Amino acid sequence: MPRRLFFLGLDSLPPRVLYEGLDGGAFQYLRGLVGEGARWVMRTCHPPITVPAWMVMFTGKTPGELGVYGFRHRRPGEFGYYIVNSGYIKAPTIWDEASGRGLRVGVYGVPPTYPPRPLHGFMVTDFTTPGPEKPYTFPPWLRRELEASTGPTIFDIVYRSEDKDRVARDLLRMLDNHLRQVEYLATRKKWDAFFYVEISVDRAHHAFWRYFDPKHPRYEEHPRYSRVIPEVYRRIDEWLERLHPRLPKDTILVVASDHGIKAMKGAFTVNQWLAEQGYLKLRVDPSSLKPGTDLGEDMVDWQGTIAWAWGGYYSRVFVNLKGREKHGVVEPRYYEETLEQLRRDLESIRGPRGEEWANKAYRPSELYPEVNGDPPDLMLYLDDLNWRPAGTLGWPTNYLEENDRGPDDAVHDWHGVYAVYDPEGTLERGDRGVMPIESIKAHLEQLIFSKEEG
Amino acid sequence: MRGWSWGWRLLAQRSRRRGRYTTVSIPVSLYERISRLIEGTGFTSVSQFVTYVLREVVSEMEEEKLRSEAVSEEEKAAIIERLRRLGYL
Repeated sequence: MPRRLFFLGLDSLPPRVLYEGLDGGAFQYLRGLVGEGARWVMRTCHPPITVPAWMVMFTGKTPGELGVYGFRHRRPGEFGYYIVNSGYIKAPTIWDEASGRGLRVGVYGVPPTYPPRPLHGFMVTDFTTPGPEKPYTFPPWLRRELEASTGPTIFDIVYRSEDKDRVARDLLRMLDNHLRQVEYLATRKKWDAFFYVEISVDRAHHAFWRYFDPKHPRYEEHPRYSRVIPEVYRRIDEWLERLHPRLPKDTILVVASDHGIKAMKGAFTVNQWLAEQGYLKLRVDPSSLKPGTDLGEDMVDWQGTIAWAWGGYYSRVFVNLKGREKHGVVEPRYYEETLEQLRRDLESIRGPRGEEWANKAYRPSELYPEVNGDPPDLMLYLDDLNWRPAGTLGWPTNYLEENDRGPDDAVHDWHGVYAVYDPEGTLERGDRGVMPIESIKAHLEQLIFSKEEG
Repeated sequence: MRGWSWGWRLLAQRSRRRGRYTTVSIPVSLYERISRLIEGTGFTSVSQFVTYVLREVVSEMEEEKLRSEAVSEEEKAAIIERLRRLGYL
């Protein structure tokens, strides 16, 4: 018989919190389970972002193989972008494969699963769902049942706000909503494997990290805000303590995250820098722009532009290649040379006081065994992710203390967690080293399916 | 001339399919449960009941699929704005 498995995904949970006790004492029950289980430091993918990281974990394919390099992508020759959804994930997920073997699966909140697709079991989609009026469950009628029993579904909150009290309220309301719904599904529905990802943890980290982590350069002890992250952890912990005894006795419990989190040192205006270096030629005077202005297609003098970039948790850099771009100027025979020069220049960007940064600019083909979809020419990480690249213009300096998109205290990190608690004790306990994110699917399959013959 | 013969074959297949039925296997125990369930109702056979239920279910799923695929320009803009405010863009 296959083993039953409950997967608790805590978006952006770093090893410092789960393994080293930076949890304000909140994860008492979970840490007890993890202490008795097998623990790995999970090494995430390039780029270390929710989309594609969870799908890398659940398909076992790299972002290059999936052709998903973030939320947005750009078709060659176009300036604008399209947003990916579940339809772009072509590789089978672990729940597709479990369905195919006749197992019943539950999926809740895994990004990106909207729009929902049929499976042998049930699914509630994730924070990329446009709204509760959209079909967000499989089977479709599950939505009515869920809303009648647990109230309307909350998909996300807006956390980039100065009104931190409101953010905290919305966050806890969303978390309670998810916990209630998952408890309902986990205890009322039949399942062999249940995959639940909770996004509130990531939102709490981004909004309140500087009130929580004493290592944050702008750390501040605050009577209310410093308690938000431990409160999120505590609610999850108490919920799990209540739920766990109600799950079938031999259920394997897995706790994992898609990437880690750490203090954001600041944001660096990558397009302003490209313009200063002569890679990007603007038709407008950047000093006349309002701070935070997006780079628009008509703001660029394409005849004089070699490259432009997107901001985000990492930067995607595009070369204005002739034959590929609408107004391409870089001759294909100079593409390699241009790219290497650009890479050298990007990697030598220094900090605000002239300090050296650990920058890395990769070509997608260096990172993945296959490069599908619409990849950028270069993928840039500034100072090992400590500085967030900002794509906007109009700033008086290239070094911003705050994020260009509104208040945010954290950036992503390479290491997350992967821990397995087996009540039957079939796994070797303790610290087991590093687990690459793309190896987790095979490990989970071993846990669920390997006992089928037994 | 391959196109002609292929086209005729397709038409012939379509006309043969119209009004025809095929067999789907279900476990005997499920068949018996359905038989008991429809006793004394207007359904005169398990096939009639199963066809009715599947039609209902499949129509709802098709409708939902269409609704999730139809994303208006305003909805697209709202999604982009939300991702931007979440810091992903």
